Amino acid sequence: MSSILNFLVKHNHWFLFILLEGISFVLIFAFNNYHSAAMFTSANSVAGNLYAAISDVEGYFSLKDENTALHEHNRALVEKINAMQEELSAFRDSASLADNRYICEKSKEGYTFGTARAINNTVNRTDNFITIDKGSNDGISQDMGVFNEKGVIGIVYLASENFALVQSLLNSKSMLSCRVKGDNSFCTLKWQGNDIYHSHLIDLPRHGRYEKGDTIVTSGFSASFPANVPVGEIVELEDSDDGNFYKAKIRLFADFSKADKLFTAGNSNRKEQAELESSINKEE
Amino acid sequence: MTQNTLANIRNFILLTIAQVLIFSQIHLFGYATAYVYLIFLLKLPRHTSKNALLLWGFSAGLIVDIFCNTPGINAAAATAMSLARNAFLSMFTHNGLPDDFVPSAKSIKWGGYTVYSLLNLLTFYTILFLLEVFTTGYIIPLLISISSSTLLTMLFVIVTECFSHRK
Repeated sequence: MSSILNFLVKHNHWFLFILLEGISFVLIFAFNNYHSAAMFTSANSVAGNLYAAISDVEGYFSLKDENTALHEHNRALVEKINAMQEELSAFRDSASLADNRYICEKSKEGYTFGTARAINNTVNRTDNFITIDKGSNDGISQDMGVFNEKGVIGIVYLASENFALVQSLLNSKSMLSCRVKGDNSFCTLKWQGNDIYHSHLIDLPRHGRYEKGDTIVTSGFSASFPANVPVGEIVELEDSDDGNFYKAKIRLFADFSKADKLFTAGNSNRKEQAELESSINKEE
Repeated sequence: MTQNTLANIRNFILLTIAQVLIFSQIHLFGYATAYVYLIFLLKLPRHTSKNALLLWGFSAGLIVDIFCNTPGINAAAATAMSLARNAFLSMFTHNGLPDDFVPSAKSIKWGGYTVYSLLNLLTFYTILFLLEVFTTGYIIPLLISISSSTLLTMLFVIVTECFSHRK
């Protein structure tokens, strides 16, 4: 008996080792499944505040470029509003009062937009995340879309009170429902790793006609993004691995290594849509 | 003893901050990341108890994990390296050393210290990258990542060693 005890005492560091490795593995797996894991990421308040402070300082160095870009973006927006007003007045002229009301109601998708700033950002891993300075207190919740003036950035993965973790498109687990602009068939965007400027559409239907340079936009089916948020453009087109689809290499519009000023898209109807979809799954 | 512990804590904090704020942001050629906080684990005195080594390794790894959004991965790899460390060290030392013996280029020669560090870093990076990509599983990029990161970190280990000799 005493020799067993001696043995256990002499090798007690093995038990500590197994305990610590156990904790590590729980963290590795919990991170993929549970929201409480936010505390062990840079979305926790200590790490979040530290990153926010550093990013405040860093922000000053890029103010000039940032302003130029914002200016340009504003200009583009004004242009867009103008074009839309023209289009709207054309509709008003040609449609009856009843039709007019229909158009207005139909275009109301229930999206509200907010701004956020990236305070930490990685692009060099297999699974990249961006920490933003808005959290559940600012109305951020899981699955909200995040984009910048160039294109889609990612989808909110976890939200703590004042910060949130965004799963970037540069993440092996990200899937984004997309559409080729000017074509109605939809497809899925999935990142294949390593290249931070490109991603792949893995299931383009074969019946469509696509060309290099075609613009890819969000489909609007995922309830994270409204339709027609730009994503990227086709640079290469080939057969998919099983030959049933086309596979396209996409140049992403957003520069992920410089993602800073972001917009969030929240859909007030999202909850309803999610409940409806999950009830269907249950019935199956 | 207390002075040693204080110095340990100071090195721990400095290296972890440098790691999180500077080195984790740098990623050479898409493969190599230097984890310089490991230098702290390499330089812990020989007499440090096995349990203390494991706890230092785990907490250093966990803090880096929290800042880099890789929960558990660094902690697991650094704990394993802490376990293997003394076995690697005993290859270059003999029994009956003074209590405050610290592994360095001076105490076990440049050759010994380099091999000791390389073995530790290889252990760490092999586990780290295996855990990081164990869902995707590409062998060649994995090997490139392990070897390039080990060599990059080794460079910083040697630079640190050169500077600590001048004192």
